[in-house]
Amino acid sequence: MTDARVFFNFEVTADSHTLSAYKSRGGYQALEKALKGMQPIDVENEVKASGLRGRGGAGFATGVKWSFVNKQSPVIYLCCNADEGEPGTYKDRWIFEHSPHQLIEGMILASYALHVRHAFIYIRGEFDLPWRRLLVALKEAREAGYLGENILGSGYSCDLIPHQGGGAYVCGEESSLISSLEGFKGYPKNKPPFPAVKGLYEAPTVINNVETLANVPWIIANGAATYAEMGTEKNKGTKIFGVSGHVVKPHLMELTLGYPLKKVIYEDCGGILGGKALKAVIPGGSSSPILKASEIENITLDIETVAAAGSMLGSGAIIVIAEGTCMVRLLQVLTRFYAHESCGQCTPCREGTAWMNKIVTRISQGKGRKGDIESLECITKGIMGNTVCALGDAAAMPVVNFVKKYRDEFEYFIEHGRSMNDGRLEI
Amino acid sequence: MAVSKSEGAMIELKIDNQIVEVQEGETVLQVALRSGIEIPSFCYHPCMSIAGNCRICLVQVNGRPKLMPACNLPVTPGMEIETHSNAVIEARKAIMQFISLNHPGDCGICDKAGECKLQEYHMRYGDYDPLSIEPKSRMPKFYNLSERILLDNERCILCSRCVRFTREISKTNQLGIVERGSHSRVERLECATFDDPYSDNVVVNCPTGALLSRDFLYKSRIWYLETVRSICTGCARGCSVNVWRRNKNWYVRGSGADKNLLAYRISPLDNPEINGPWLCNKGFDLHKLTAKPRVLAPAIAGRDVTIDEAIEAARQMLADAKKPAAIVSAHASNEELETFKNALGDRVAIYTRQDYQPEAGEVVEDSFLIKADKNPNSYSVQALFGNQPFDAGKGHDLVLLWGDNLDYASLGGARVIHLSSFEESQEQPASVLIPISTFFERSGSFCNFEGTRNNFEKVFDKPTLVQHAGDLFGRL
Repeated sequence: MTDARVFFNFEVTADSHTLSAYKSRGGYQALEKALKGMQPIDVENEVKASGLRGRGGAGFATGVKWSFVNKQSPVIYLCCNADEGEPGTYKDRWIFEHSPHQLIEGMILASYALHVRHAFIYIRGEFDLPWRRLLVALKEAREAGYLGENILGSGYSCDLIPHQGGGAYVCGEESSLISSLEGFKGYPKNKPPFPAVKGLYEAPTVINNVETLANVPWIIANGAATYAEMGTEKNKGTKIFGVSGHVVKPHLMELTLGYPLKKVIYEDCGGILGGKALKAVIPGGSSSPILKASEIENITLDIETVAAAGSMLGSGAIIVIAEGTCMVRLLQVLTRFYAHESCGQCTPCREGTAWMNKIVTRISQGKGRKGDIESLECITKGIMGNTVCALGDAAAMPVVNFVKKYRDEFEYFIEHGRSMNDGRLEI
Repeated sequence: MAVSKSEGAMIELKIDNQIVEVQEGETVLQVALRSGIEIPSFCYHPCMSIAGNCRICLVQVNGRPKLMPACNLPVTPGMEIETHSNAVIEARKAIMQFISLNHPGDCGICDKAGECKLQEYHMRYGDYDPLSIEPKSRMPKFYNLSERILLDNERCILCSRCVRFTREISKTNQLGIVERGSHSRVERLECATFDDPYSDNVVVNCPTGALLSRDFLYKSRIWYLETVRSICTGCARGCSVNVWRRNKNWYVRGSGADKNLLAYRISPLDNPEINGPWLCNKGFDLHKLTAKPRVLAPAIAGRDVTIDEAIEAARQMLADAKKPAAIVSAHASNEELETFKNALGDRVAIYTRQDYQPEAGEVVEDSFLIKADKNPNSYSVQALFGNQPFDAGKGHDLVLLWGDNLDYASLGGARVIHLSSFEESQEQPASVLIPISTFFERSGSFCNFEGTRNNFEKVFDKPTLVQHAGDLFGRL
């Protein structure tokens, strides 16, 4: 845990989530520093200089995103995207459970930089402990004068409004998050207009991931230069990675960007379960293309390297798959998820995800037919790039890559009506 | 090229190598529709918000890796759009395949066949080998949304036009899409009926056969029908409508010949000055308004006579009367009113009245289309003859009553020459009763409550003995 600096820099205890615990490890000093000695634009420039990139999956430069907003607009909103729903991801949950004040401080700082009076936290509906911890933390912060009117006597006022989602994966997409916050069905919106121009309640809106915002206090407190010392040239700082799947010790860890993936699997997580060989890795949540064991040899965990290998760093949810796992059944789990979570607004995603699921399910039941693989390829082509939001692409990408990289397993399953392996997902 | 005058800079852009000059703020689809360039669309409607959900209008833009939906693509200078590149054609095929995936394809028993966008685009863009071997998913079929509307969720392509209609146009919010993903379906409000006074518009606006009129259900294949331009006489708005009658080439011979003289259905005719593309449910029922028992033969004091006898008797009575009066119908066309004024204007005292009053249960007036005056031509009548109701105290001995719905008893004992289209129950028969044609049986024009003049055409021939009111006045 040598890399734990921004998040895992304290020992988790029963009350490490409280305000007093957070203050004892230097909490809210960045806020005081900013409100007393920095202009909003200084905060924005500091974040820009730190090279912080969005931690939700797309990896867009945070400071640049903030600079797109017209600061003269009478109302600007900030939304914290805490609808953590990508299969395999569980990092934001940890922040809510053990360091909620870090997010609150980050949000106040971001709100200060963006001239935001009211900021929203859209939290995943299934999160129970995180939700309760957030409410307590908000109450503590308000009572301590970090939230509300005239924060710390600076004349700046800000409120955070928590909102529980209704359990839709698609609401993690920023425009449907806005629809949902506004009280409508969580349908993504067509772009243009982009949220930075016309977002929540038609006002310019910035939407950032929990982890992104929780990085801000550290950057302000220690300076952009210190933050930028960590990581690679284009990927500054540290990121929380959550490893799951067939490893001995699946857990969350904070790693400097550029950390080798093999080291994560074989050293930090204690290797593959049961001493099996590695079959594949899904490096950034279920939507990112799967990588075969041979493809991860030299991969380091930063956006460019993973992209060069043909996948995405995404949300940092590393799913490790051991030899012997049935890829057809694994894909069926994924297609079922996307068919279930497609919002149903636009045609290609609504029909395509359900159709792919029908085909893959049929194959996994031993009723596959010749031509099914070609159909799947054709469907993914029809979905990708033709949908309103990115869910269509996210659903199609695993199918494309599973079918491309494990075609023999699919062909075997179709021909013989059973798995090439023993058909299990569990080890 | 004609462009309406409004603010906004002019921009030049290329669509399929054709240079088009457009205004800033328009979308590519609007420009294409106006310039006669074909881009298919299901969910786009010029009067409603952009949903961008059908994805059939995807086009290629220079310099962009992804295809863009034309309906939500604002024009920018130097834009080059391709509507028929290989990528676009492939995407359209894919979208058509997705849309048709769970569509039952039951055109043979679907009323929409022949005017169905899905059918049309399937013929034009659906040139693919269908891949699906999965059973189609099942949904509620032939479900009664209300007394007027039938919903077939299997045929629905979820374009959300009907939902947006009730949200944005009629503002009743009575329809919505429930469930998620491929389980999504259009549904009405729980514990309520779809009693929107404009509900029938959703049938016209449905691009497939998902929403159907129960009145027109299985009455006729639409290719046997043709349209005639007419005006709704239900209120002073005077909406332009199409009346659907049987095409002469498809006339039924022998038994069932009455089908040839049936107004099968009414649909709104897009008239931006008056009603836009909308119509209220009363307008959709226009053919039922004229389907009342008709007066078909002239009569003197209840005794059938020839038309010449009736006219001669009326002329004699008018000539003999000491103080004749006339009550003018607000259902008369501008042309008839003109003839009446020229022939009788200075010979009789003229009163006006509104033949029809709002009925019980009817929407009296709203902020959208429906007006409280339930007559089509009150504007012209009042412009020509003022707004003077009949005064029984003036001692008129003869009244030329033109129009419907007036009790003779209220005329102060005067003798009555009645020009009427419909049978009415009166205590005493009129001295002279002459049957006149309805607006379905003649052409002419009405002026609506704003004074906008609008024309209607003859839909059917009049019955033999029925007269056009305009032809009578010269002979009186």
